[in-house]
Amino acid sequence: MAAEKAEMDVLKKECDGLRTQIEAARKAVNDGNMTSAAGSATEVGRVQLKLRKSLKGHLAKIYSMHWSSDSRSMISASQDGKLLVWDTHTGNKLVAVPLKSAWVMSVAFAPSGNLVASGGLDNMCTVSNIKAASPKTLRELDAHTGYLSCCRFLSDTEILTASGDTTCCLWDLETGKQKIIFTNHIGDCMSLALSMDENTFVSGACDSLAKLWDLREGTCKQTFSGHTSDINAIQFFPNGNAFVTGSDDCSCKMYDLRSDQEVITYQDGSLNAGVTSVSLSNSGRLVFAGYDDFNCHIWDSLKGEKVGVLSGHDNRVSCTGVPADGMGVCTGSWDSFLKLWN
Amino acid sequence: MSSKVHSSNSIAHARRTVQQLRIEASIERIKVSKASADLMNYCSEHARNDPLLMGIPTSDNPFKDKKTCTIL
Repeated sequence: MAAEKAEMDVLKKECDGLRTQIEAARKAVNDGNMTSAAGSATEVGRVQLKLRKSLKGHLAKIYSMHWSSDSRSMISASQDGKLLVWDTHTGNKLVAVPLKSAWVMSVAFAPSGNLVASGGLDNMCTVSNIKAASPKTLRELDAHTGYLSCCRFLSDTEILTASGDTTCCLWDLETGKQKIIFTNHIGDCMSLALSMDENTFVSGACDSLAKLWDLREGTCKQTFSGHTSDINAIQFFPNGNAFVTGSDDCSCKMYDLRSDQEVITYQDGSLNAGVTSVSLSNSGRLVFAGYDDFNCHIWDSLKGEKVGVLSGHDNRVSCTGVPADGMGVCTGSWDSFLKLWN
Repeated sequence: MSSKVHSSNSIAHARRTVQQLRIEASIERIKVSKASADLMNYCSEHARNDPLLMGIPTSDNPFKDKKTCTIL
């Protein structure tokens, strides 16, 4: 007993020492923030995007949407128990995928456009082929012990999931089995984003931390703190060296991987609503953040100023997304509508 | 018996935490000023290819409803 206590004391001392070391190393490179550096950047001016389409079809709250890599098709998930695939150029519905469980929280399109994945309070990730004559369930990935909050395909054979059981998981779609389980968060994982090179991904969780993971080794490489409440959304900045988070603490933050810390916070005294979703324009200059206040606010990512707002939803904006060609932004809401703006 | 299992779990947990912190402590960090400059450069280099920043001419707008012409 005494020996164990002694070992615990040694380990605790080492933990404290390492934490102090990390903080000191971060402070040592913290020679100025983004806002001051961005003083020389050109002004973005007022960003006034117009509502181009209101997509009507779901009968209940929309929880998630994801663009296809063709920048034209888009899939949405609603707790009316359906996934809808839309042709955003015409506004037509292309495919309806009925769900076994209506409590869906996340939906994703595979880069190929052949497969879609969804999941939620059923703790499973269901993968379907939407190119078949009628949508066909390919796999039910069942191993998480908590809700599925987010899923992203690497390809038609691999998918990453984030769960309320505090883990993320890489699955092999050919076998339907877990390949790697990523454990380190101490709160529900709410969101994940894959890096462009697919070697790493970042996750945001209810422990208010964001983490960078090595996809192949399964290890957590970096941990980013700063938020004071659940992180609900996370997206990579297009250069792959930074990412943006959105949190219940009503702020968004940009973290840089190579400085290992936060470089700017997007917050405003008048904004007292949690952030549900974030997406970035193609240059990374604009951050579209969906809030519980029914709006999607637009931030200048470099200067940290609010530069616009997308108003029109009658309930919480639950999801936002910019397609690969950067030609617009889609917002989805608990009001059951999806809106396209540019 | 059970307290021994509990404490050995705590030790295992503490060891994992130390291991994780060692990984996180060992990385190279660049200055925030350099990181900020790189982000700014990326934005300015890609601004012209950002339709939401530059604006989209009506004729090229894929989401705009195409209205049909009526001959009166």
